[in-house]
Amino acid sequence: MNYSLNSFAWKEVTRSSAFGKSLATNIVLGFLALYFALNFLTLGLMIPKIIAESFPEANPVQIFNSYLLVYFGFDLLFRQVLQNLPTISFKPLLILNVKRSQIARYLLLRSLLHFFNFLPYFLLIPVTFSLVTVNHNPAVSIAWFLGITLMILTNHFLTIWLKWWINKSGYGFYIFLAVFLIIYAINFFRIIDLTRLFGSLFDLILVKPIWVVAVAVPLVAAILFNYRFLLGKLYLNLVEKKQKNSTVRDFSWTSRLGDYGKFISLEIRMIWRNKRPRTQFLMTLLFLFYGLLIYKDSGDGIPDFIFILGGLLMISMFSISLGQFFPAWHSSYFAMLMTQNFKMKQFLQSFYYMNVVISFVYYLLTLPYMLIDTRVGYYHSAMLLYHLGVNMNLIFLFGKNSKRALDLSGSSMFNYQGMGAAQWLITFPLLVGPMLVYILSKLVLGVNGALLLLSGLGVAGMLFQPQLFNYFTKAYLQQKHRLIKDYKNS
Amino acid sequence: MIEIRSLIKAYNKEVVLNIPELIIQQGEVFGLVGNNGAGKTTLFNLLLDLIVPSKGFVVSNQVKVQESEDWKAFTGAFIDESFTIGYLTADEYFGFIAELREMNQADMEQHLDRYNDFFNGEVRGKKKFIRDLSKGNQKKVGIAAAMMGNPEVVILDEPFANLDPGSQFKLRQLIRDQTANFGTTFLISSHNLDNITDVCSRIVILEKGNIVKDVPKTATTLREIEAFFTGVKEEVGFSLD
Repeated sequence: MNYSLNSFAWKEVTRSSAFGKSLATNIVLGFLALYFALNFLTLGLMIPKIIAESFPEANPVQIFNSYLLVYFGFDLLFRQVLQNLPTISFKPLLILNVKRSQIARYLLLRSLLHFFNFLPYFLLIPVTFSLVTVNHNPAVSIAWFLGITLMILTNHFLTIWLKWWINKSGYGFYIFLAVFLIIYAINFFRIIDLTRLFGSLFDLILVKPIWVVAVAVPLVAAILFNYRFLLGKLYLNLVEKKQKNSTVRDFSWTSRLGDYGKFISLEIRMIWRNKRPRTQFLMTLLFLFYGLLIYKDSGDGIPDFIFILGGLLMISMFSISLGQFFPAWHSSYFAMLMTQNFKMKQFLQSFYYMNVVISFVYYLLTLPYMLIDTRVGYYHSAMLLYHLGVNMNLIFLFGKNSKRALDLSGSSMFNYQGMGAAQWLITFPLLVGPMLVYILSKLVLGVNGALLLLSGLGVAGMLFQPQLFNYFTKAYLQQKHRLIKDYKNS
Repeated sequence: MIEIRSLIKAYNKEVVLNIPELIIQQGEVFGLVGNNGAGKTTLFNLLLDLIVPSKGFVVSNQVKVQESEDWKAFTGAFIDESFTIGYLTADEYFGFIAELREMNQADMEQHLDRYNDFFNGEVRGKKKFIRDLSKGNQKKVGIAAAMMGNPEVVILDEPFANLDPGSQFKLRQLIRDQTANFGTTFLISSHNLDNITDVCSRIVILEKGNIVKDVPKTATTLREIEAFFTGVKEEVGFSLD
């Protein structure tokens, strides 16, 4: 039975159209996985040296143990955002001769196959050998290793259980975040030294290995919670969430925006009412704080290059993150749009003007960074002009080759549905292009000249915008049948 | 008037639709029946320029569909649920389509008032996204939107499927009213022979991409078509033996 369940899940993953990851996506993902694995491995190899340098007096294993809670705390936080719920479509199983308990057990077991459950071992294994086994006998080392493995699994199942609960309530994530911050504060201000307490449990395991049983208790509890939750909730409404009446927000003011109003209001509703574009949009708001991170004077002034990067990311992140999928956001009803009496040009222009307005607002919002460094004003202005004149047109240029339909309801975190080589490629000229222009022209024209060149390119693009719109309209109309076919097939 | 001239659609040399000539007069209610995979939806997609024909062309009211976009101004269509926009409420969707068809608020209300009976109070004024409506109600939204702005040609693919018997009856009435009042040309496909013979003035049977029967509606049409389909079944059963 379990065998056929497994093969069912495997086929569901490999044959689903959403899986349709392109080669490019796989390569990028492979690189990311390798990158993180290598980082963890390097850190694991360096830790003994780091501890020996920073705490020459202390017992290195105890120091390591005292940091465990910090690791698992942040692990839990990141898992909240990045880890998915075990959602194979159990719908057809419900009416078959499979026991509910079997489905629940299976869902939980399968969820274990996650990158996050393997990543820590790249760090843990070198640390175990260099810090633990040298001073302790094998039985003790194994108990310690087992203890941490149990903690990793506890975090895994705790994440799933919290996510069920968070998904249900909507504001749950903020409660989780608040609790996380409170615990962090309690620990940070040493009201209760939780990290030490947690670390001493593992110290204890090193003395009396039998204490590893204590770590198993939360794991068993987390698994049981999940199991009982699934047994009780394994009905259709676990996956099918109906919209509550009260949350329909009215955007009728947007249709008063003249000729473009009807499409701009469609775009705004699309972004706000679907999970994937909405999270993507909210992320771009978060990106506005990126400047606090990178506009830092580390002694000899902020390198000018950083302003290009910051201006680019903060001002144009909205256009880039939504534009890389343009026009696939409308893929589910694209055929309908194509039978309607409207001009393709209006459709493109509406998207353009929406981006102009939002980029300009983001530009205004990032101007206060001038308090950190007045040069921000020049750089951001140049980037705004460049973005509107050049990058927006690149987005349209790449958009006409759009191939994959987008599932609007998916989450945006690590969601590669609808991602093809084109989507990866487009971010390249958008992000690297202006930097390259700046660096190269700076060599010849100097800083002011380079900024003028960037702005000039942008203004030139805007001056030719009417002609470019005509060109894109024609190009998109030529691609119409292919777009309809590809969206239907993906 | 819709003219279809030597229209062929083939995928990898497999011909799925082959219509040498077909002319549909203004005001005709044209019914299309046929087994699954007979090419009904393919024909509709070609009429709406959603796919490219391998050969031939379609002329709708003197507009060559494959070359000009002007047919959009006088054509309404509902093929499947993907013709509605899931994240809008029904009222917002009607508003959007009305704007595209350059109708004002009053025109739209007047049009939708005729559908109040059809909607059965479950569509308008509800703060519910179309994606959260039932399949049947989604279909009602799409059909009502397809007839907005009194288009001269309306294409409906399986409009009766998923509707309850009462709604099917009301839809038949709505289609009849529309042709009587505005001379609208309808192209309708259906698997329900009762509905199609009741509402249509002319019925065409498609079989593996070819027109095998083309008859005006008379008192005996229903029996003729039923005989055709049961006959096909018997033939297949016979050849298997």
